[in-house]
Amino acid sequence: MIILGYLAMGAIALALIALSKSHRTMNAFFILHTLAFLAIGVYVLLTTAVPIFETGSEYFYVDHLSLYEVLIAALLFFLASVYANGYVESLVQAQELHRNNLKIFYMIFSILLTTVTLAFFSDNLALFWIFAELTTIFSAALVAILSAKENIDAAIKYIFIASGAMLFSFIGLIFLYTLSGEVLGSGTLNWIILAKNAALLSPKILTASFIFLFIGFAAKSGIFPFHTWLPDAHSKAPSAVSAILSGVLLNIGIYGILRMYAIVRQTQAEPMVSKFLLGFGLLTVAVAVLNMLLQKNLKMLIAFSSVEHMGILLLGIGIGTPLALFWTLFYILAHSLTKASLFFSAGILHRQYESNLIQDIKDVFSLQPIAGWGFVIGTFAIVGMPPFPIFSAKFFILLEAFGFSKSLVFAVLLLLVIASAAFARFLIEAFTQSSKDEGTDGMEALLPYTVRGGMKFPILSILFVILALGVFFPEPLEKLLNTIVYELGYM
Amino acid sequence: MISSFIANPAFLEDIIRILFVFVLITAAFTLSTRNIASLLTVYAVQSLLMVLIAIFLYLIEGNKTLIAIAALTLVSKVLLIPLFINLIGEKIKISRDLKFNYLEPTASLLVSIGLILLAYVFLSGFFSEFILGKLFFMGAVIGLSLTLMGMLVMFSRRKVITKAIGYLTMENGVLLFGIFVADLPFIIEILIVIDLMILVLLTTILAIGLDSTIEEYHQRLQTLKIWSGREN
Repeated sequence: MIILGYLAMGAIALALIALSKSHRTMNAFFILHTLAFLAIGVYVLLTTAVPIFETGSEYFYVDHLSLYEVLIAALLFFLASVYANGYVESLVQAQELHRNNLKIFYMIFSILLTTVTLAFFSDNLALFWIFAELTTIFSAALVAILSAKENIDAAIKYIFIASGAMLFSFIGLIFLYTLSGEVLGSGTLNWIILAKNAALLSPKILTASFIFLFIGFAAKSGIFPFHTWLPDAHSKAPSAVSAILSGVLLNIGIYGILRMYAIVRQTQAEPMVSKFLLGFGLLTVAVAVLNMLLQKNLKMLIAFSSVEHMGILLLGIGIGTPLALFWTLFYILAHSLTKASLFFSAGILHRQYESNLIQDIKDVFSLQPIAGWGFVIGTFAIVGMPPFPIFSAKFFILLEAFGFSKSLVFAVLLLLVIASAAFARFLIEAFTQSSKDEGTDGMEALLPYTVRGGMKFPILSILFVILALGVFFPEPLEKLLNTIVYELGYM
Repeated sequence: MISSFIANPAFLEDIIRILFVFVLITAAFTLSTRNIASLLTVYAVQSLLMVLIAIFLYLIEGNKTLIAIAALTLVSKVLLIPLFINLIGEKIKISRDLKFNYLEPTASLLVSIGLILLAYVFLSGFFSEFILGKLFFMGAVIGLSLTLMGMLVMFSRRKVITKAIGYLTMENGVLLFGIFVADLPFIIEILIVIDLMILVLLTTILAIGLDSTIEEYHQRLQTLKIWSGREN
């Protein structure tokens, strides 16, 4: 029933968007779509006893982890849809987005939300694979929609790297299917059955299967060395889309790795796979941080910061203790929200200066006070300053890592300091520039860009929520995360 | 007379082995051919080889899913996808992809020999635990090699359409690997083909965009009637 509800809502929203004539109505229906998905998620969480199988078969499965991810996704889509109202209209007026393409934009955006939701609810790993593939294709279309050459380039790079890597994942699935067939009599890719019988699976082939699956999921979540598409796609996309790419789509890859790790950790393969994840996590953080240090492009900086955070999530999964998993899950929420607010602020700044480059940003606080301060506070939050939620999540993940390897913790801490330095350098250089300092070299003063309705609300509400989450950990959330840790078999 | 041949599994296995060699030849062609029309023909031939392999394997094994896979591959990969790419290729009038990134054809052929050996060594390390016949092991090796060679095409070619053919070659490799290692449910094969079609559709449309200025792009899409988001 739950899946059918989502599907019906998705189909209705898509049809309504297809029938709408003005931008305003398309946007309104899209907002309603996201709200409906949020409402279903909350309703299920509060009233239905999960985990349960869905639609009378074992293809879909609703448990607390998938609900949690779906709720994060719906929340971010909601914020992005509100933001899109003013932002996309600006793009149209600046002739960066063709008015004819508006309907396509909203329709693909709406299909993307439905596909993401179905991906998270898939119990069958092959089904998950297909939906994850489709999310790549639809989100790449949203990157290319601005139809500038650099956007098309970024989208093509995104599709080929992510989809090509996903084909290796499929080989991993074939391994897993054969392996389960040898043990259980008939092959299966149902996560729940695999997780239940994990102890029977041969560790050697399970490791091989995990590594193949990892290639695809890592490419989807921008893990080194498959991250090369990410900075281009995330920085060239319209900011409303960038927020979704960083805040929702990266989570799909991490979700896949998390589910697979929950199977692997019940077998002898765990020590090796755990080291494998820690190694790639550390490398990812290192590569991202080095790219951030001298970054001159605002959105590139935020995009590389996403790569960095995916590395930390990988570390959190690799440590493999229940507490580390708890904080990794919380980290996913905190990162998604914070990153979205940064992209929303960057979107306003891009409208103001029509550039993301450090030298073009001037007089930020007098021209765009909300976006400026939003970005500054967002920066504090993303580098993990207290009292923001990323601080506590990072703190406890590293505390757990301490029992694992001290040198790992020191290496990560050093890299995190460099990451903060990169953000600080950018802020100091860009946000203190004033047009008066340069004298009057024939340049006329910039007129402030009028921020359209709906663009400030997402930024302000996210800042409010993350501040609140940082100082006060709500009990229902704690309970939910504990249930997820339990359901994944960690306790 | 023919039926006695068909009933003889040893003969059928030999045929499949010969088809494996043909598959590798098509992969080598994909790595080195510059002309886009012949690249497409090579891809269609490669897909046809997949169809034949599936049919012969059915004659040995009697698994009906293989026939369905053969039919699906014939319709989608031998007919529809090459036809569609051909249509787009004519629109954008690219006939040759001359540029290679990183690797020239000779070098990439040498690399692909390495990749085949790698696939062999890697799989023989793991397949000791599976009870798999010799032919099936060979199929898995060829499948994995084909996937890796397709990846090489994606890396070493510049034009979007050739990259797309690289992706399609990779997918053929995965299909080959799949039919020899596991009997995946048919529904999954259908879903993969749908995914493939959408991907080819999108990337080739984007290829039009890369090939033209933006105003032209919109005009071309209007005439193609693929991307007409006009409000009416």
